[in-house]
Amino acid sequence: MARDDDRVKSGVALVTGAGRGLGRALARALASRGMRVAAVGRDAQSLAETANGSDRITPVIADVSDFDSLRHAFEEADALGPLTLLINNAALYPRCDIFDETPESFMQTTRVNLGGSFAATRMALDRMAETGFGRILNVATFADLHPLPASAAYSVSKGAARILTRALVADLADRFPDIVISDWMPGMLATRMGIPDGLAPDQSAKWGVELALWHDPALSGTSFEQAIEIPPPRGLKGRIKDRLLGRRRPLRRLD
Amino acid sequence: MSREITQRHWDVIVIGTGIGGGTTGRALAEAGRKVLFVEKGPAGHRSEQTPLSPGIFVPEARSARGFWPAEVRARVDGREARFFAPLGAGLGGSSVFYAATLERPEPHDLDHSEARPHPTGGWPVSWTEFAPWLDRAQALYRVCGTPDPLSETPCPNLAPPPPLSRGDQHLTERLRAQGLHPYALHSAIAHLPGCKGCLGFKCPHACKMDGRSAGVEPALATGNAALLDRCAVTRLLGDGQRITGLEARRAGEVLTLTADHVVLAGGALGSPRLCLASACETFPQGVANTSGLVGRGLMFHLNEMFAIWPGGTDPSPSKAIGLRDLYWREGQRLGMVQAMGVAASYGEIAWYLRGLVENSGLGRIPGAAGLSRIPAAIAAKLLGTAKIFVGLLEDLPYDDNRVLPPEGDSDEIAIDYRIHDELRARRRLFRREIARALRGQRKMFLTRRPELNFGHPSGTMRFGDDPARAVLRGDGRAHDVANLWGADAGFFPTSMGVNPSLGIAAQALRVADAINREGRDGA
Ligand SMILES: Cc1cc2nc3c(=O)[nH]c(=O)nc-3n(C[C@H](O)[C@H](O)[C@H](O)COP(=O)(O)OP(=O)(O)OC[C@H]3O[C@@H](n4cnc5c(N)ncnc54)[C@H](O)[C@@H]3O)c2cc1C
Repeated sequence: MARDDDRVKSGVALVTGAGRGLGRALARALASRGMRVAAVGRDAQSLAETANGSDRITPVIADVSDFDSLRHAFEEADALGPLTLLINNAALYPRCDIFDETPESFMQTTRVNLGGSFAATRMALDRMAETGFGRILNVATFADLHPLPASAAYSVSKGAARILTRALVADLADRFPDIVISDWMPGMLATRMGIPDGLAPDQSAKWGVELALWHDPALSGTSFEQAIEIPPPRGLKGRIKDRLLGRRRPLRRLD
Repeated sequence: MSREITQRHWDVIVIGTGIGGGTTGRALAEAGRKVLFVEKGPAGHRSEQTPLSPGIFVPEARSARGFWPAEVRARVDGREARFFAPLGAGLGGSSVFYAATLERPEPHDLDHSEARPHPTGGWPVSWTEFAPWLDRAQALYRVCGTPDPLSETPCPNLAPPPPLSRGDQHLTERLRAQGLHPYALHSAIAHLPGCKGCLGFKCPHACKMDGRSAGVEPALATGNAALLDRCAVTRLLGDGQRITGLEARRAGEVLTLTADHVVLAGGALGSPRLCLASACETFPQGVANTSGLVGRGLMFHLNEMFAIWPGGTDPSPSKAIGLRDLYWREGQRLGMVQAMGVAASYGEIAWYLRGLVENSGLGRIPGAAGLSRIPAAIAAKLLGTAKIFVGLLEDLPYDDNRVLPPEGDSDEIAIDYRIHDELRARRRLFRREIARALRGQRKMFLTRRPELNFGHPSGTMRFGDDPARAVLRGDGRAHDVANLWGADAGFFPTSMGVNPSLGIAAQALRVADAINREGRDGA
């Protein structure tokens, strides 16, 4: 139950979408903190660039929307050691007006953004449930709150992925408190998926890795935006309780 | 699932894997018998830390966690209530969630004497015969604690307890100063490195000794046993004299399983339901029910909870102290008193406290009444550093208190229980005695109405020498079915003034011993 958790770091991290952008930065930042990383992506050459000669980073070629290839990727990662960390980072953001979106294209985006996260999580859980220990970090966005135009498939699938985090907590938190699952919003980044004057992915990845290596059951179900925890919505019940008990917890930070 | 398991003819099939099933199956497997455990619920993952939570109400989610999937419909004194009882249905049964307090009964719990008359005239097994099996169970379950200073009988195979916390030391001194005789509660926890106590939740290590870690797992390790989980036995089949097969359901498939001997270990609620559901031409009243007593004689204990403020600042809950000063008072059977081991904010206790808070002014905060966690949180604040204790009050067997036959293949468990006047009177005496014993201490009763302990069902397949007044014989075999045995909490003819599990384990070892001494064909 710690930041920079030794038990998490003693195992293997699997990062999806590690061929470029934030995924690459996350893989490198994990390696620089001493972790062995299975860097999963579709393209051998960009994965090789991610590894950049580091013997801590092993490129593993797979498409998260191709569940069989993902199964093989997990098996390759198994050869590196016990899986203790999964970062669900792979996502597509095809900007696409609704009249250009077909049912097929919509479902393909969903298959990557939601299906890929679920599949990787499910495969990671098979392994983590053996030891009862692990960390799953989902790279998330606020896109579901106020969908931008030309973003239906992205907003819906990424929004559903946030619901998935909550559903996983409902299914797992009582049984496996030491499998810690949470969401992280990296913010607008200067990546292919992001905006030109966004934040450098290396900076953002530092926070993501700080959170990924923080193993505390109390983090399950939380969301962080960049370096700061997003306060959980408080219902009437919670607000009464806080007031009665004179309790207000300070927000957790990563920096 | 392999056909090798389902098509083989077994020496013994054990139905249910709680304390009773696990313990008896282990002893049989270790003696070389080929044993199949059939368990309704899942084996689950060994690393789970699942607490038994009434808040989970989706049946599939309950099953996945090893909880009994359906509600209990309890008619108590004619008033009907439905709720999720603290009842396990998975590998280890209820015991994976239990608090592992394994306390020995007193001689008068079993024996009749002039000085302490027994309500049933005594068990079919005397204390002298039974005690060696309690000793064995204590060894098997690695029980630690200190002997009860008031006891006049020896207590072997008791490992030293871990050191008391400062708060508990302080409390022990206070209780001694009151003239009481506290001791280190007997606990089946091995205290391996990293031990979390695991009271109320599944232990991720083989540290808490329960029906799984001290029963099924060592049985499987012998190579003589196999486990069929997620498999409910739906009917016992037979010719009126013997059980010839079991009908079971697994993943939608109907199986027939066979064995020389069948051991009922589905728990005090599960086993009689199965016997009653098996009524047919050859067993017109249900299996093993010539006496008509299957399901009857249901007992639970009454929980009498109270808080003590011993002073000091150590608020950590612990389940370390017990005392038997009030076990027998004014010629009456009462029961032992023990630390609950839960913080005032936790599940079981919050459930009771909710009522308390709702009845007080606090319940009138707008929107607060009925919001479950708030009263618990307030209660926790109010109680602060209080230590919560429970007195286990023995309830006596009555034929009209019973578990009813299941309706169709519903998992809902229906029970009928009347709190008899003599029990109310003993409860008043118990409360008076608790108040008197703690005179001068700051304390508060947490129970208002009589509270049945639904986690301690027993007595529904009682053993006894008279086939008209008992379902099982003294060795655990059914009076009227040659190869059927009972080895769960159903056997108790009386509920005793202590927690049930050590007694269940002792009787389960006796049952295994009797089967082991039998010829292979159950003659
Ligand atoms: C929260 C809690 C704390 C407790 N603490 C203590 C304590 O500290 N000390 C103590 O002594 N006792 C304690 N108890 C009570 C103790 O757990 C039970 O008395 C004991 O486990 C009962 O064992 P059993 O073998 O009779 O049945 P159970 O443990 O109920 O096991 C019966 C099993 O049989 C299975 N089954 C039922 N019907 C069928 C069928 N038809 N086919 C297949 N399988 C079936 C069920 O799924 C279940 O797994 C506690 C109970 C609870 C709930």
